[in-house]
Amino acid sequence: MLEILRNLTRRKLRTALTVLGITIGVLALTTMGSLAEKSNSLIDGGVHYFRDHVSVAAASNGGFGGILTIDKAKDVLKVDGVQAACADTGSNVKTDLDLSFNFGPGDQVIAEQPGCQQYSTFKFSYAGGHAIDDYGSGQLVLGSDIAREYKKKVGDSMELPQPPKKFNPDFVGHQFTIVGILEKTLTAPDSFAIVSFRDGQMLFGDSLPSALKGHVDATQLATGINVYGKPGVDLDTLANRINDQVAGVRAIPPSTLVKAFETASVVLTGITTGSALLALVIGGLSVINTMLMAVTERVREIGLKKAVGARTRHILVEFITEATIIGAIGGAIGLLVGWALTTVVNAGLTSNNQAELFLLTLRLVGLAVAFAVGLGALAGVIPALRAARLDPVTALRHQ
Amino acid sequence: MARIELVDLTKHYKQGRNLVRALDGVSLTIERGEFVSVVGRSGSGKTTLLDLLGLLLKPTSGRVIIDGVDTADLGDGDRAIMRGERIGFIFQEFNLLPTLNALENVMLPLRYRRHRDPEGKARALELLGAVDLLDRMDHKPSELSGGQAQRVAIARSMVNNPALVLGDEPTGEVDSETSMQLIDLMRKMNRERGVTFVIVTHDMEIAGRTDRMIRLRDGRVASDEPLGAQTAAV
Ligand SMILES: Nc1ncnc2c1ncn2[C@@H]1O[C@H](COP(=O)(O)OP(=O)(O)OP(=O)(O)O)[C@@H](O)[C@H]1O
Ligand SMILES: [Mg+2]
Repeated sequence: MLEILRNLTRRKLRTALTVLGITIGVLALTTMGSLAEKSNSLIDGGVHYFRDHVSVAAASNGGFGGILTIDKAKDVLKVDGVQAACADTGSNVKTDLDLSFNFGPGDQVIAEQPGCQQYSTFKFSYAGGHAIDDYGSGQLVLGSDIAREYKKKVGDSMELPQPPKKFNPDFVGHQFTIVGILEKTLTAPDSFAIVSFRDGQMLFGDSLPSALKGHVDATQLATGINVYGKPGVDLDTLANRINDQVAGVRAIPPSTLVKAFETASVVLTGITTGSALLALVIGGLSVINTMLMAVTERVREIGLKKAVGARTRHILVEFITEATIIGAIGGAIGLLVGWALTTVVNAGLTSNNQAELFLLTLRLVGLAVAFAVGLGALAGVIPALRAARLDPVTALRHQ
Repeated sequence: MARIELVDLTKHYKQGRNLVRALDGVSLTIERGEFVSVVGRSGSGKTTLLDLLGLLLKPTSGRVIIDGVDTADLGDGDRAIMRGERIGFIFQEFNLLPTLNALENVMLPLRYRRHRDPEGKARALELLGAVDLLDRMDHKPSELSGGQAQRVAIARSMVNNPALVLGDEPTGEVDSETSMQLIDLMRKMNRERGVTFVIVTHDMEIAGRTDRMIRLRDGRVASDEPLGAQTAAV
């Protein structure tokens, strides 16, 4: 064991370069991987969120362009197979144009008609406080990311939407009291601000262009309708039925959305796999190279060891152990740097009021460790086989 | 304490169209506890003979029988085990691993034994004492003189209590005074521990200090004579 360490330190530069190769490989794997893990978790949340209901929006040729009225929910409810049709509203927390790089749609103020939570399979749990009063006003529940972003806790107040940086005479803000903060879900609700439906309608109404504002009654507004099917009803079929029977709305079959999300997921998995392959190539080649050079350099040592009784498997084990140690050292450094990098970038983004970009999961750490060690061992096998097969006399007299 | 029988031993190399008869029908018996020198002109087959004796090479034909065991029947693994546990080697140069210190080098053959030897380290230290290098046991080969390195190699060759020690020009790289010290050391090991020694040398003074001198010529035994005190001076 000691001898292996001395062999590594004897050729410091070469060992350092090899370790660097693996470090870069593992670094690529952890950063790209945690990027993919973050978005995968968002996508999983999305898939989960979209699979249990049909989303209904205003037909794009509808009068108000993207605005529904709640009586459409009543029309939808009449369609065969519909269990519940809940109007909801969504508007932005920030009034400024948000140019930051985000996977999700950004911080959203969300509201749903009272009594609808029971149909959703997406249940919230609270890190602190409690749910809003569905029929009340001025109460607010924050997702965990948004709470941290604005440094809010239960009992604090918050203005919605957030005032623009540049003075805008049209801006109208409302004070809300935070009654609850959600447990971290690693998905969309982390950037939700949940208010009562009445408040949601008001905020949505405020966000409309001034040309429209005078013509609508805020209490009738909705951004969309979440339709829950009766047990056993196929939601894709239900979506088509809604499109046929209710004018002025567009129901999106959940499978379309799920598919869109899953396509994104495949792309991101591709990135992970790609970076893993890149890491494999860089790291693997450098370990193979080091070990092959070590064989050439140490042919006489191998000959001597064989002369004094070393069998093929002894030499094999010595070389593979050396390569594995190189792999483990490189992997540990790469993981450490990767962890530091993702943590620093995440912290930087959070302090800039942006969402985290990386998610270094335990399975990713496990993968990176297994990868580095396995790669080291694997890359050690070829040179080790070559070393171990050497005939003692030829090796001993090697010049 | 090995009795070694060589029966019509040949080793041929194909060199392009030519056949090099490095060893061409050697038959001899070496008794237990003998100290034998092998001499002969360059290319006469001395190293080849020693490599065959040490199971480092396989003969083209003929047999090497060590203590009644016909080594032709042994596979590579068993040959390695036999080398490690029954035979010690002292080479002309590059005897020691550069990354290990003197003590670790002496202990190297212990690493490859089938069963851990609990007294191995004590014996290594005792042997380092016998070659008068206890104070240098932490030194790396690069920090030892040529003569000291060969003494470490002698200690290493004895660490597994071998029956046979083979030396291919073990004094080839040191001055004549050091050569004499080394051969005296080997003789001492041979006498005190009863280990059979076979050494190749070009130095007649060295050969003169052995029990028996085998002269090779063109791969054959040209002469094989016991040495007394009189011939030792030649
Ligand atoms: N691997 C090999 N391939 C071909 N020929 C070889 C090989 N090894 C040795 N020979 C030849 O066999 C003959 C005997 O070689 P060997 O090394 O045994 O001589 P030696 O007596 O030890 O010589 P020296 O005193 O120079 O060490 C030489 O002619 C040599 O060229
Ligand atoms: Mg020779």
